[in-house]
Amino acid sequence: MEFKITKKANLLTMFLIVFGIVFTGIGVIVETTFHHHGEHLGQRISGNLLIDSFFFFAIGLGALFFLALQYATETGWYASVKRIIEAVAGFLPVGVGLLIVALLTITIQQGAHIYVWMDPQTVAHDELIQGKSAYLNIPFFWIRTLVYLGTYLLFWRGFKTRSLLEDQVGGTDIHFKNYKKAALFLVFFAVFSSTSSWDWIMSIDVHWFSTLFGWYVFAGMWCSTMIVLVTLTLYLKKKGYLPNVNESHIHDLGKWTFATSFLWSYLWFSQFMLIWYANIPEETTYHLTRIKDFKFLYFGMFIINFAFPMLLLMSRDAKRHAGVLTFVGMVVLFGHWVDVYIMVMAGSMGGSAYIGFMEIGLMLLVLGIFIKVVLTNLSKAPLTVKNHPFLDESIHHEI
Amino acid sequence: MADKIIYAMYDDDDVLKDGAKKLVAKGIKVAEVFSPFPIHGIDPIIGVKNTRLGIMAFIYGLTGLMLATLGMRFFMITDWPMNIGGKPNESYLDNMLAFVPVTFEFTVLCAAHGMALTYFLRNKTLPGLPASNPDPRTTDDKFVMELRLSQNSQFTETELHDLLKSTGIVELDQRDVK
Amino acid sequence: MHKEAAIREPLILGHKTYHDITQDVCKPIEDKAPRMWYILFAIALIIGLYGVGSIMYLLGTGIGTWGLNKTIGWAWDITNFVWWVGIGHAGTLISAVLLLFRQKWRMAINRSAEAMTIFAVFMAGLFPLIHMGRLWLAYWVLPLPNQFGSLWVNFNSPLLWDVFAISTYLSVSVVFWYIGLIPDFATLRDRVKRPIPKRMYSILSFGWSGRAKQWNRFELVSLVLAGVATPLVFSVHSIVSFDFATSVIPGWHTTIFPPYFVAGAVFSGFAMVQTLMLVMRKAMRLEAYIHTRHVEYMNIVIMVTGSIVGTAYITELFISWYSGVEYEAYAFINRATGPYWWAYWAMMTCNVISPQLMWIRPLRRSMIFTFIISIVVNIGMWFERYVIIVTSIHRDYLPSSWSMHYPSHIDLGVYVGTIGLFFVFFLLFARFFPVLPIAELKTILKSSGESYKNAPDTHHGHDDHSETENNNNH
Repeated sequence: MEFKITKKANLLTMFLIVFGIVFTGIGVIVETTFHHHGEHLGQRISGNLLIDSFFFFAIGLGALFFLALQYATETGWYASVKRIIEAVAGFLPVGVGLLIVALLTITIQQGAHIYVWMDPQTVAHDELIQGKSAYLNIPFFWIRTLVYLGTYLLFWRGFKTRSLLEDQVGGTDIHFKNYKKAALFLVFFAVFSSTSSWDWIMSIDVHWFSTLFGWYVFAGMWCSTMIVLVTLTLYLKKKGYLPNVNESHIHDLGKWTFATSFLWSYLWFSQFMLIWYANIPEETTYHLTRIKDFKFLYFGMFIINFAFPMLLLMSRDAKRHAGVLTFVGMVVLFGHWVDVYIMVMAGSMGGSAYIGFMEIGLMLLVLGIFIKVVLTNLSKAPLTVKNHPFLDESIHHEI
Repeated sequence: MADKIIYAMYDDDDVLKDGAKKLVAKGIKVAEVFSPFPIHGIDPIIGVKNTRLGIMAFIYGLTGLMLATLGMRFFMITDWPMNIGGKPNESYLDNMLAFVPVTFEFTVLCAAHGMALTYFLRNKTLPGLPASNPDPRTTDDKFVMELRLSQNSQFTETELHDLLKSTGIVELDQRDVK
Repeated sequence: MHKEAAIREPLILGHKTYHDITQDVCKPIEDKAPRMWYILFAIALIIGLYGVGSIMYLLGTGIGTWGLNKTIGWAWDITNFVWWVGIGHAGTLISAVLLLFRQKWRMAINRSAEAMTIFAVFMAGLFPLIHMGRLWLAYWVLPLPNQFGSLWVNFNSPLLWDVFAISTYLSVSVVFWYIGLIPDFATLRDRVKRPIPKRMYSILSFGWSGRAKQWNRFELVSLVLAGVATPLVFSVHSIVSFDFATSVIPGWHTTIFPPYFVAGAVFSGFAMVQTLMLVMRKAMRLEAYIHTRHVEYMNIVIMVTGSIVGTAYITELFISWYSGVEYEAYAFINRATGPYWWAYWAMMTCNVISPQLMWIRPLRRSMIFTFIISIVVNIGMWFERYVIIVTSIHRDYLPSSWSMHYPSHIDLGVYVGTIGLFFVFFLLFARFFPVLPIAELKTILKSSGESYKNAPDTHHGHDDHSETENNNNH
């Protein structure tokens, strides 16, 4: 069955993009007129670009990871929603583009007070950063970034091509090839997901370090992805597509949302509690700045991302209820955006950061682009896969 | 009240399930099914309602959560505040992070054991209780359907027997009960 | 629901019927024990008794009999504690997490893996208990009213969290395990002829009758217990890791510890399951139920968790440099190049390199190779704990108090003794308990049994019929 983007959806994405641009424009004007003649303008724009490009790129990457996970574990039930996962993963090229724009913007401003280690003057007076400069320097940073992004894109293209090919030729060769490639991808991903979050996010708080950080960022990204997948599935189901998707599939996606929220909360707690408990100044500074400048958002975001799914998605019926899932999903998705917002802004703008026109505007803009790209991807490939070896299992999925 | 129980034995779960479906469609009440393992999808056919033990587990868990919170609040804040590693102990919230692990464990402890106990009691399975399966083979590879004459008074005994025989049974047994 | 893709390998080999499953699992229990069982039992018992003797001597003499030294106030006992708890993670992971993931292959191993878990946690619990010195006052760790001492127990201490975590884990695992055992005890009860075993199994089976409603509750209880046991598995080893990570000792305090300890625990637990399963399937002739495919699945788990552990090692190593904290960096340099370099490199070889060999398909499907690797992994995981614990504290900030830890013969005796006791318990389990979940295996026979799966055409009649019925329902 082919998916067609409805007029309403087109209108919505147009609105998001237009509003996004207008809001961003207002934000720029506000910043230049009212806030110290815009001395933070570059920092704020670059920071926001990083937040939104990373957040939505990560959702695409999360979908690619989830797809690879299904291949590598030879899961059966997901076959009916496979095209949806692929459509979200299909945001990757655009996401990569946006992320490169964001990182370039920062690089040409010598770090824009976000990556202070890019600024030679700061480094000259900072022994700690000097100690890290073998790793944190512009050329090596860009080499790593391009290697991560290149690898992801390469695997994404392979999975996409093979998936469409499988529809035509069938057989089990493609399945086993996917199995192997997925395992390989997961190896790269296991390393890159950690190191890339050190590079792109942790190096903002350049003096600070936490071994868990990469896994924490990864869990947040995975959770956001699951929310997008379940919401998108519900949307398509409501529009009358996806005849093979029944309550059990929705339930499974709901369970993943629940489980990944729990995983994220567990990692948040582990990191926070251990740093709180040991009380080492080098480490507590990270949370102290967050509590000082973002107390409400920081703890509010944790409570939302933990308690909402925990309480509302615990029961079996809730995990099958479209309304509950969508509501919880949207709130928690915003919660994870706030998480990324704080991760970037607390270490760079600190107390002068706030969610204003520019933050909302850029978020809406990238969200509009994201929805547009994902829906376009959906319309380009048949929504139901053919010849997938586990398709029959998935059609008869019942839990 | 005197009653008669008919035990119809099958040697395959799916045959029993199909048989039950047919019998129920004809208006027969199937009183019980004994099987060596859970038969997927039999419950709605013979009218067994889903258990609500899950809700009980949630309530037990909630009890554990509250007990742990109140307990630690009392021990560590009210009764004997201790200064440990310079951590503030004026209020529960100050020290809450340290109480999370025990709170979690105790919640799980209460949920799991409360539910397990309820499960044993509701199932009437406790050490020393006698088994009530009609044939020892029902814990091996035989499946037995139990019909009660009193619940199927619109049919005669022979009618029930004939209907059962048409569903592919392997053995038929009938017992009188008081 | 008997839908399974043809591409999946069957999980039950041969042309088994429901009765065959009962027969195959019950036979070893009903028959006389083979001579080998007595030999193994005797060996395990002797080793176990030696351990008990060592513990007695230790309790009578004091902890001075251990090889503790200056700053090394915690070494051998805590290493063994963590090692055993780690091993004890596979059982509940298999029965809970894999149940949630609907992995049918778990059914071949969950019963004995859980038994193993319970015995391993017994052994783990022994170490903190004997470390208390006065074993008979062990109940002081419970929050009892004040006349038992001057204070409440300290709820801020990770060691107390451990008390709660381990006891919850142990008791919930026992309940989970036993609830699954009840229907199988009922099967045994209805089979055995001799009066004493019949009476025993009758008591053990709690009067289970296999009613539809009982099964309905059984399935839900298993699912809910799996649901609560899954975070429990994560929490227990996380809390064990908190014992170290909440401190300020370089090498102990690092935020990655909780998830990394969990991965390590699953890693070593699966290795122990492999060791036991590979012997058991041969000795009890269960090759049709635990075969290459199961071993391969477990090896993949070992490979994945081993890789996670490896990634964590490298992350720690990198961040110790990246942090710019010289003490942190020294802790790791000292591990790799200091006097305990051999322990460090043993750990690296066993835990990081050896599981990577599982990428090679013929190797991960080879029983002998798997057996060797499973032992290698457990040695490696023992060294991991030893490295983390001892190397981090044997050289602290004062070079004058730098020292080494050498285990005393009592240390060795207690440790080896726990291995003996563990096998005593496991051998008793294998002798008297159904080592495979009989009831659960029957539920997957039609979807994953070889005869049903590969030859649907030869099985006309009722089976085909039900298949079409099923399709109509959807």
